[in-house]
Amino acid sequence: MRTYSQIQGDGGSGAEQIADLEAAIARRMAGIRHVVAVGSGKGGVGKSTLTRQLGAVLAAAGKRVGILDADLNGPSQAMLHGVRNVPPLPGEEGLLLPVSREGVKVLSVGSLLAEGEALSWPSASPRHTHVWRATRELAKLAELLSAVHWGPLDVLLVDLPPGPERTAQFADFLGPQTAVVLVSIPSALARGVVARSVSALGALPNRLLGYVENMSGYACAGCGTVRPLFPESQEAAELSLPCLGRVPFDPQLAALSDDGRAITEVPEAGPIAAALAETARTLFERLEEVP
Amino acid sequence: MKFLCVPCDSQMRLRATEENEPSSLSVVYECPECGYEMAMLTNQHETDMVRSLGVRIGPAAAAAMANPGMAASGEPGASRCPFSAMLGGTTQVEAATPSGPEWTPGALARLESIPEMVRPMARAGIEMVARENGHQVIDETVLADARARFGM
Repeated sequence: MRTYSQIQGDGGSGAEQIADLEAAIARRMAGIRHVVAVGSGKGGVGKSTLTRQLGAVLAAAGKRVGILDADLNGPSQAMLHGVRNVPPLPGEEGLLLPVSREGVKVLSVGSLLAEGEALSWPSASPRHTHVWRATRELAKLAELLSAVHWGPLDVLLVDLPPGPERTAQFADFLGPQTAVVLVSIPSALARGVVARSVSALGALPNRLLGYVENMSGYACAGCGTVRPLFPESQEAAELSLPCLGRVPFDPQLAALSDDGRAITEVPEAGPIAAALAETARTLFERLEEVP
Repeated sequence: MKFLCVPCDSQMRLRATEENEPSSLSVVYECPECGYEMAMLTNQHETDMVRSLGVRIGPAAAAAMANPGMAASGEPGASRCPFSAMLGGTTQVEAATPSGPEWTPGALARLESIPEMVRPMARAGIEMVARENGHQVIDETVLADARARFGM
């Protein structure tokens, strides 16, 4: 009796289709110079806002930038880029994406849903969705990626959903050429979770570029100085990673984000603009380094 | 997963896929040598797992993969994608389209070439542009207008 490997093909089931899909994604992303997954492990650290603003700063520096919102259940990039009501459209060479005012191409489920509406995941086995949920999400993301015409890009920033295991899962999904940047805030709790993400990523071949410390102090609108936002902690885990930059908290940025605007639209934006520019420059330099 | 006809030592071929119950797939294989047929009936968990992989299963799958504009079920406009049911608000847009502008076969093929989860919003956006410009029929020109309108 013949064994599995002695039989060519799989008789019409899905393995060949999955291989074809992966090949299609690779073709679609062949014109992208650097893919950077931005994760954290910890929710609420400002990862999506940071990703959006770093993309704008890179675009302002002349880079061709795309943003992939990989959080299908909590998409935010469409709103952050002011393209929530702009649908992706069929083009000559594939799916064309909404483009922000700064010229950043944005793929986000937030462009496909009404505000406040969430994706639902119908199931044949209610109460057991945990078995297949992640698989279905990634299959849908793969389907989208196999159709998108990104064109040539210098950087594709991928905004990951929170969770150390999700960070590693998506890095694996995006492939070994994808670099990873982690976002933390100066609290012991956040640093501990980010340290777990570092550990989870350790089993993968992906290049871990470093971390960005967000909310690194409070930028006073009155005097322009940056003051501590979190208490100094002796127990905060040391992240064995290069720090790519420290970005202060600024209420101005929160207002801009709600309005779908970028920091690059604001002249004299103060310490946060300088910090974002420096972080983006360091990030791109690290990407260009041969590992 | 592969199926082998043990007496013939021959790989069985997928012959048909049916969804007789909402939570079960009936996948029929036959032996090309002796003609023996067998059916795999999935339980609800296996059904979910197969669906979650995002693959098409059935005799039309190969043709559909070669020509993404063709409905896998063989029925024009039929949906096999579980995602369409997830987009509650946007499926209403599709339901409303019979009273909207007509689509030429070429423009419709272009729309059907993009992932199903994107189509309702894309269709709504294109039809909005058609109405804005007074077009009764959506063709390649209107698609180009829509791309320009949305800055693409």
